[in-house]
Amino acid sequence: MHKYIMVLKQYWQNIFVYRVSFVLWRFRQFLSSLMALTIWTVIFTNQEIAFGYQQKQMVSYVFLVTVLYNIISTTSLNDLTGEVYSGKLSTKLVKPMNIFLALGFQDLADKLLNIGFVIVESIILFFIFKPSFIFPSLGQGLIFLVWVILATLIAFMINLLFGSIGFWSRDSWGPRFLYYMILDFTAGKLYPLDILPPVIQKAIYFTPFPYMSYVQIQLFLGRLKQDQILPITLSMITWTIGLIFISRKIWHKGLKNYTAMGQ
Amino acid sequence: MKRFFTYLKIWKLNASNTLQEFFVNRYTHILFYLGKVIRLGMSLLFLYLIKDQISQFSDYSPDQVIIFFLTYQFIDLFAQVIFRGVYLFRARIIRGNFDFMLLRPINPLFQALTDHPDINDALFIIPTTILSIYIATTLNIQVTLASLLMYLLLVFNAMMIATSLHISILAMGILTKDIEGLIWIYRDVMRLARFPVTVYLEPLRFALFFIIPVGLMITVPAEVLLNLTPAYSIWITIATGITSVWISLKLWKWSLKKYTSASS
Repeated sequence: MHKYIMVLKQYWQNIFVYRVSFVLWRFRQFLSSLMALTIWTVIFTNQEIAFGYQQKQMVSYVFLVTVLYNIISTTSLNDLTGEVYSGKLSTKLVKPMNIFLALGFQDLADKLLNIGFVIVESIILFFIFKPSFIFPSLGQGLIFLVWVILATLIAFMINLLFGSIGFWSRDSWGPRFLYYMILDFTAGKLYPLDILPPVIQKAIYFTPFPYMSYVQIQLFLGRLKQDQILPITLSMITWTIGLIFISRKIWHKGLKNYTAMGQ
Repeated sequence: MKRFFTYLKIWKLNASNTLQEFFVNRYTHILFYLGKVIRLGMSLLFLYLIKDQISQFSDYSPDQVIIFFLTYQFIDLFAQVIFRGVYLFRARIIRGNFDFMLLRPINPLFQALTDHPDINDALFIIPTTILSIYIATTLNIQVTLASLLMYLLLVFNAMMIATSLHISILAMGILTKDIEGLIWIYRDVMRLARFPVTVYLEPLRFALFFIIPVGLMITVPAEVLLNLTPAYSIWITIATGITSVWISLKLWKWSLKKYTSASS
């Protein structure tokens, strides 16, 4: 375990070499959250209820999704395609470590760092917009925690798949850009998905994206019925297992294809 | 005039080179294009859902809010088409390739700003502008010929401000060797102007008008088009446009004197 802790520390050290870049990155996330919360506050200025939500419910939703999305989403693997294509991956492969665990700890380091900043940003946003929410029961809290862990795994596996593109091509930014565009609108980051027309909602539920923030916040706010919890849990488990299987399969296929010259 | 045509020819050559690069990575660009279509589609869907649910958005009607968004869409996209080269500037500074730009008998600022036009956005801006004009004609808004002409003048002024911001970012790149954070901050601040920036709280609102003046670039022109009283006068807006270009050019010249080749 010690060596994986070292991976975690090394990631932090690398980030702090370019600490201004990291702070600017967090500032951009903060601006995005500020915009979403402002817009929703303005929408409710002249009316109590819109889209089936009261103002407090909507502000709480956007506030919570802002926090959670920052925790679940993964950016630490964004450079993986380049590492694989350029052959830099070799330095990781020759080390006596499980590559998936090493990447997992790298992702954990990124999340812990982001969480630190998210807490500070959330305190500022909390005092500006004053969201109100009732904390869920212990049982629901545990389900929430399990769903967050599953969502984190789903996000990690999807990013691993994008990283695997590097075994065949250096260019993963096209599919990655498309993924982020779709994710922005289908994970419930800017608005809850139940304000969308039913046809679009149904289509979105065929993807893993609503399980990457939206359902967790709906559970937290008590907007899910008891009979919805089991199907959602099963869907999330299916997506997680499916993505683990697919990403491992593709990674191993890619490794057989992998050559790293001149490193 | 001869000088203008020379530079136009150079720009065409650069655009032609970028177009060839575009076709080499055509499948990636199709995905980028698709992503942009989805982003625009979902943003418009959101605005129409708001229109369906509420009658007033701060001091504006939902139809007027759509005009703010369409103005943002055009100005942001147009700046991307022209100034995409700015995103590549950091690599040029770090690798020392900027030296080659300085050696050529062509203005280095012109090269750094425009040598890599965004073909993807150029292809995207044509249908989206047609779509925007069509959407605008379906909205319940009050537009006169005078307000339209003034709007076009202010959009031109917004381009001047966008140019000055990109020049300033290049200058900061020379001084700090790191511009990626700044350019993306600019893009994110621009995104705040998808909605009228008068809705934001102080001191953010002031910053959006006078520090990174996206309010003067997008909110004021849209307000003028809609025959609303603009948040700041047209003269302040135009004066800011002219002053910002002047300051950014001074900054650029000063930063060039500080330039030391990073590599060779």
